[in-house]
Amino acid sequence: MTDNFEQELRFLQLRFIGKILAGFTHESKNYLAIIKESAGLIDDMIKLGKSGEEASGQFLEIIHSIEEQIEKSTGLFKFLNRFSHRMDTQLSAFNCNEALEELMALVNRFANQKRIELAKDFQQDLPQIYGNPSMIQFLVFSFLEEIIKTLDKNSRIIIKTGTANGSVMIKIIPEGNLLEVEIEKEEFPYETYNTVLERLNGKITPEAGAKTFTFPLKVSDI
Amino acid sequence: MSHTKVLLVDDEVEFASALAERLQMRDYDVQTASNGLEAMALFHGSPPDIVILDLRIPGMDGLKILKNIKILDPTIEVLILTGHGDVESVAEGMKSGAYEYIMKPIDIGELTSKIDMAMKKRISNRD
Repeated sequence: MTDNFEQELRFLQLRFIGKILAGFTHESKNYLAIIKESAGLIDDMIKLGKSGEEASGQFLEIIHSIEEQIEKSTGLFKFLNRFSHRMDTQLSAFNCNEALEELMALVNRFANQKRIELAKDFQQDLPQIYGNPSMIQFLVFSFLEEIIKTLDKNSRIIIKTGTANGSVMIKIIPEGNLLEVEIEKEEFPYETYNTVLERLNGKITPEAGAKTFTFPLKVSDI
Repeated sequence: MSHTKVLLVDDEVEFASALAERLQMRDYDVQTASNGLEAMALFHGSPPDIVILDLRIPGMDGLKILKNIKILDPTIEVLILTGHGDVESVAEGMKSGAYEYIMKPIDIGELTSKIDMAMKKRISNRD
């Protein structure tokens, strides 16, 4: 593989990690903003001398809202932590469903911005595969990002997993109107992604007029 | 300054609701909208003095709402609410006529001070 390819891949991976972190920090700030306003509201109520049954009910409501935000942030932190540790080793045995679930949690914000729903349709007893989970997440993110750009508002993207011919299949299925958007090669270097998947013993298979993408990954003997 | 009419546009409903209540306790008259269409409907139904606008709301581009508001009534002042270091969109918002911006998580004192300054500007623009 050429140095140019490696350089481009490194750039794309760094861009991917940057985007995931930007999305994560944005979401975290939102949770913190709600917690801060809720705490501020309790402070205001106490300073105004609000008391009695009605005030107690409102205090409890606000406290529950704070707890809910903390739970949501903890969930997101857990996903980011798992996502980061996937890079500890280059190759490992992993479950694609888990890797995709954490990616979806971290990418959800990008879809929400366009009111696009990210839905999962995972095969429950999916066999583990041996490979590079970070690379799989990188590839799926790259395709998802591009589909989000080209899909109209109020649409849906289904991420499906299954098995066929000794491979784990990851399918990205957009549902909704596709917009006429010109895709720059620099923004979405399809050939580079295809080469990356080939390294993982997979192959990108565009279906349905290139609207649905399938990533087959060999199940190895672990 | 009291009874300034504020329209708060943010898709984080719990955030908007808590902030609205805090502003109401400080004598501001606040309405909230969680998306662009709702914001424009409230805007037409009861025009506000000040709009606090999250630029990244689903459904309609926040910048588009800002531009629409400025076309409909240039004296209405808009404060941009931003939850991240999105320098580009804040800069774009300021170029499109926003009065100021405020970062999330917000400081209530800083926000009310900016609302009051924006209201003064609105009054002077109208006179």
